[in-house]
Amino acid sequence: MDILHNLAFGFEHALTLQNLFYCALGCTIGTMVGLLPGLGPLATISLLLPLTYSIPTSSALIMLAGIYYGAQYGDSVSAITMKIPHAASIVACIDGYAMTLKGQTGLALFTAGVSSFIGGTVAIVVLAALAPSLGEVALLFGPADYCALMLLGFICVSVVTTGSVINGLAMCLIGVLLGQIGTDLETGTPRFTFGAQFLVDGVSLVSVALGCFGIAEITKNLDEKSERTPFNGKIHLIPTWPEFKRIWPSALRGSVAGSILGILPGGGPTIAQFAAYAIDKKVSKYRHEIGTGSIEGVAGQAAADEAAARTSFIPLMSIGIPENAVMALMMAAFIIKGIQPGPNMIAKHPDLFWGLVASMWIGNCFLLIINVPLVRIWLSVFKIPYSVLFPSILFFCCIGTFSVNNNLEDIYVTAAFGFLGYVMMRLALDPAPLMLGFILGPMLEENFRRAMLLSRGSFTVFVTRPISATLLGVILVLFIAQLVLMLRARGASRAGGPVAASERDTIVASPESARN
Amino acid sequence: MLNQNLVRGLFLAAVALFFGLGALRYPIGNLSRTGPGLFPLLVSGFLLVLAIATLVKSRLVQAVPLEFSVAKIALIMFGLCGFVLISQHVSMLLAIVFMVFIVSYAGTAPSWKRNLAISAVLAVIAYGFQRFLGLNLKLI
Repeated sequence: MDILHNLAFGFEHALTLQNLFYCALGCTIGTMVGLLPGLGPLATISLLLPLTYSIPTSSALIMLAGIYYGAQYGDSVSAITMKIPHAASIVACIDGYAMTLKGQTGLALFTAGVSSFIGGTVAIVVLAALAPSLGEVALLFGPADYCALMLLGFICVSVVTTGSVINGLAMCLIGVLLGQIGTDLETGTPRFTFGAQFLVDGVSLVSVALGCFGIAEITKNLDEKSERTPFNGKIHLIPTWPEFKRIWPSALRGSVAGSILGILPGGGPTIAQFAAYAIDKKVSKYRHEIGTGSIEGVAGQAAADEAAARTSFIPLMSIGIPENAVMALMMAAFIIKGIQPGPNMIAKHPDLFWGLVASMWIGNCFLLIINVPLVRIWLSVFKIPYSVLFPSILFFCCIGTFSVNNNLEDIYVTAAFGFLGYVMMRLALDPAPLMLGFILGPMLEENFRRAMLLSRGSFTVFVTRPISATLLGVILVLFIAQLVLMLRARGASRAGGPVAASERDTIVASPESARN
Repeated sequence: MLNQNLVRGLFLAAVALFFGLGALRYPIGNLSRTGPGLFPLLVSGFLLVLAIATLVKSRLVQAVPLEFSVAKIALIMFGLCGFVLISQHVSMLLAIVFMVFIVSYAGTAPSWKRNLAISAVLAVIAYGFQRFLGLNLKLI
């Protein structure tokens, strides 16, 4: 009953005209971005983050959350109609595009839209039920436990996003080191500033995000020179009753898988889609059709994608630790707005928390309208040539950077990070873990120093505390698993002849690296 | 042709050394009373270990050629730096036109008509930001 009461309280806040407007705006922008080639939720949230400074806190967060899950919806549309693999829609390309080839585009879009709605709805129930109780668990965490949790997050993100623990972890550490630039909060010593005044406050988050995800992505897309053919096929949206009956079992399975995987460190929509697809291939009544353009192949992954996008807010809002790069940016948005995500957030700002949860369901309804009946309008977005798009995105990067401090010279820093991001992309180093490291770096340092102070300089505090010891144990197991997989891959490559290093690096299937 | 794996290892080592040597300039303290240099030194140390592992691995696995297009990223950097300089010393409207024209050469088939149209739209958007969002843009 408490949940219902809290949700009613949340809807009271989310259903104001202002919040409805920003929720719809976020969903619309997110969908558009999801459709566009070369721009993901990370780049869009980075671009729009400075513009939310003048928007009230709850509306700004509702809008940014709308952009995130809106982009997940939009992704599947481009994947189904044109087989454009974005970060979050690689699985949708398989059966979704196969359905398009069979002339069932409308059915695939309807399935994706309705399944995403089901996934989003299930995830909101999970979020409302679990986040407050997880927040209570988080109160048991000490500095050493927080350190271990952040390290686990680094390892999981490294494995999931880059496929190579070494590359991913290296990027996390570079992010942590970049976060060291500026004044040391404990002693007041300026570090790595080289006498430059503009570095005393540290490197701006917006500069790092826009450089690494905006400018670097643009340059990479320009290198690829790929031309997109707009979708011109016919769309019949309404399915028959037998077709409709095939959607919901898969969507429910995907919702459960997505809700669970969204909560785990390093988890999120991409891995959830793969898991849901694999589950459907094992247990679905129509498993023999999956891979050839079946409803189940679209429904399960779409529901998992959307569910995971929403439940990934749970660790952020209840423990205060983001589990992936998008959530790290969301955390930055919370902090900019003066809200510290963590165990006390729900108690201190119930209106914000429950308002955000309720707005997700409202956003779900908006997205269903935007993506199912209005899908034809969105497909015209593809007709905008990239040569028109990219100068505009660069302009928005400049304005976004400028608006933080009203300082044009900050654009030099963004440009420098754009160059750095491009170099890293060319070296097959994914910038997403860097972002997580950059945002968590100062927090990691603070907790590490505090843990060391409390234990009088003894590292044993990390293994004597049960939570920390368990988390470090999980890290050890992950490392051993990676090592075993690497040795197996080595053995297989020796048996099958020389393999390129990049292939050998890819220990785990790396869906997100497909966009780099 | 440069080996991507080798360059990656060198890049990581350079970053680790830059921050690691830089950290030595600050008080290190001890583990119970850490100074501002200790944490970056520890992190740089870990990064250096990963860099060495990458370098060793690059010798063991087949080389991957490094693809790097200097022209496009250079044009974009030039466009962005020009945007700042012209905005500071002349006006942002001119800076928009300059940036659009310069960066368009990084794309395919630049056209001055299209560039003018994009510049005009962006100028209107910039005006909107100044007028309605209160951004302090020096348009003229």
